[in-house]
Amino acid sequence: MTSTSIVAQHVRRTSLAKRHPAVLMGSLGALAVLLSIYSLKVGATQVSFGNVLHALVGDKSDQAAAIVFDFQLPRVLLCWLIGTALAVSGAVMQGVIRNPLAAPDIVGVTKGAGFGGMLLLLAIPGVPVVAVVPAAFTGGLAAAALVYLLAYRRGATPVRIALVGIAVSAAFEAGIRFLLVRKPLDVSAALIWLTGSLFGRSMSAVLETLPWVLVLVPLIVVWARKLDVLGLGDDLAAGLGEPVEKTRRLLLLFAVALAAAAVAVAGTIGFVGLIAPHMARRVFGGKHLASIPAAALFGVLLMLFADMIGRGLAPPLEIPAGLVTAVVGGPYFLYLLVKTGK
Amino acid sequence: MSVSVGTAPQPTDDAAHRRPKIVTSKQRVAWASLVLLVLVVAGFLWGVSIGSQHISLSHLPGAIFKADDSDELILQSIRMPRVVLALCVGAALAVAGALMQAVAANPLAAPEIMGVNAGAVFVVVLAITVVPSLSGAPTILLSFGGAAAAGVSVMLLAGSGRGRVSPVRLALAGVTASSLLISLTQVLIIFDENSTDSVLFWLVGGVNFAGWQDVRNLLPWLVLGLLGAFAMARPLNLLALGDDMARGLGQNVERTRMLGSVLVIVLCGAAVSVAGPVAFIGLIVPHIMRRVVGSSYTVLLPLCAAGGGVLVLYADIVSRYVKPPFEVPAGVVTALLGAPIFVYLARRQKVSS
Repeated sequence: MTSTSIVAQHVRRTSLAKRHPAVLMGSLGALAVLLSIYSLKVGATQVSFGNVLHALVGDKSDQAAAIVFDFQLPRVLLCWLIGTALAVSGAVMQGVIRNPLAAPDIVGVTKGAGFGGMLLLLAIPGVPVVAVVPAAFTGGLAAAALVYLLAYRRGATPVRIALVGIAVSAAFEAGIRFLLVRKPLDVSAALIWLTGSLFGRSMSAVLETLPWVLVLVPLIVVWARKLDVLGLGDDLAAGLGEPVEKTRRLLLLFAVALAAAAVAVAGTIGFVGLIAPHMARRVFGGKHLASIPAAALFGVLLMLFADMIGRGLAPPLEIPAGLVTAVVGGPYFLYLLVKTGK
Repeated sequence: MSVSVGTAPQPTDDAAHRRPKIVTSKQRVAWASLVLLVLVVAGFLWGVSIGSQHISLSHLPGAIFKADDSDELILQSIRMPRVVLALCVGAALAVAGALMQAVAANPLAAPEIMGVNAGAVFVVVLAITVVPSLSGAPTILLSFGGAAAAGVSVMLLAGSGRGRVSPVRLALAGVTASSLLISLTQVLIIFDENSTDSVLFWLVGGVNFAGWQDVRNLLPWLVLGLLGAFAMARPLNLLALGDDMARGLGQNVERTRMLGSVLVIVLCGAAVSVAGPVAFIGLIVPHIMRRVVGSSYTVLLPLCAAGGGVLVLYADIVSRYVKPPFEVPAGVVTALLGAPIFVYLARRQKVSS
């Protein structure tokens, strides 16, 4: 049972989206922009709408503008970048592994990247964030490779990948906690980083993530047709002249890189890479040229929503966005599981 | 679905006489018991002597009877309850795991995989957040409730509740439910600023802060759970032959499952409420023991109790060596040990749902 049947059930309901994807995509984009502007005023320090608009339009002198530019704006921009990175990564993994349950979290990337980042942060105190991204990237890649190798036994079935991913994630999770205790910084601050939060992220964090998203996402969109071809099955794809194994590995590498870059900056934000592509496929169908940009938009909306709830539910307390995405994404995953089992 | 892991139970001619004989080597059982006994004694002596301050074992007799000097006092009030609690928690979780694998007829069933431990933790932390003074018996009862609710939900989500769920779906549903409950627990901990000291304890599990009161809280439930489990050995052996065969032999399958599940809840709920969710014990110990002594629950359950105790005790000892005086919770050590075994079990799955 695959996602295609889920999609099929919704063809009638979503025919508008299928016939005029641009209209719906535009609306989603507009919604994301509106939500972004609204989220600029949510937080421990309330800024009025007038002040937000004022600051955006040009006057950067007063205190409200400082709050908007130094604290709120980087977070909103990061929501866009991280939401896009995780969602596109998940969409590619689900396409390549041909399993609706594939996602950066499931194949161990998230926890591996978290571990890699922590390892470097603790080994070299005061290391610039620039260096954490490659470390997290290496950790994520290593974890994904480990899962693939361990799950491989006359082929790596999606189910074994999922199960092995659970185990490898648990081991990296234990490793992260081990590092935490070896170097007990401020435990609660470290925990907040690990659960995934945009708290205190500045413009430099935006600049860390930007190149990865700017380079890899367009590349993947350009390759969207290759993903469709891979979806036909290995034999048919090879018959159509696609170097199946090579394309698959390259696409997976891109997906892992995107997820790792996101985790390096924002900590382990779960479930976005799993559910955003699903929502996109349900609404826009299985063609990757439409579903990948749509997944990115859903990812952005999820991140904006999660970060806003985290900031706005009980200020000045911050609930990490990663916890919100887990609380929303967990039930959705269980729902998918129940649905695919019938 | 095949439930056999390790040595499969062999129905023989005796089965017709309502007494299925399961092939186990008495010698292996004897050896395993002896090794475990030595490990328990050695672990006890090792566990009480090391820590941020090494204490010579010559103080031990004094600590048991009178506790005159400071060394003897440390032994009596800090080290010994910690070691005893590690043994008790390990025994409870391992036996719960063995029961669960039997009841769910599923090799990947285990309290930590099925969200039972995470459910117990969530409810206990929730209760402590609302009523900070809460401790002891009410905590344990709440923990039972959380464990039961989480276990039943996962079973229902993974499929029908009648023990025919594929291992993979059970694992996926359970792990997701666990991560959801752990996230909710973390949210609670963030809201409750006073609890940061015990954050790791509630998220990972360990016996770092154990006292005799914890042992006293756990002990009645542990005894009840273990005796109940041992008494169920024969029905569980029949259950392992398959539902139809067990029914044919006059077994009330539903009642066995129900009783077994209740015992799982009691054992896990009690263990988690005093030590947090120590990872993977309920999954790995029964599998290792089944390898060693076969799958007759008559010997498997007592040896699981001893093996679980040994595993948590030694994990706790290792955790103290990592970087004193900061201690890694034992749950981290058991997770690192358990993950490779989970991978091994996952690789054995032939299911391709």
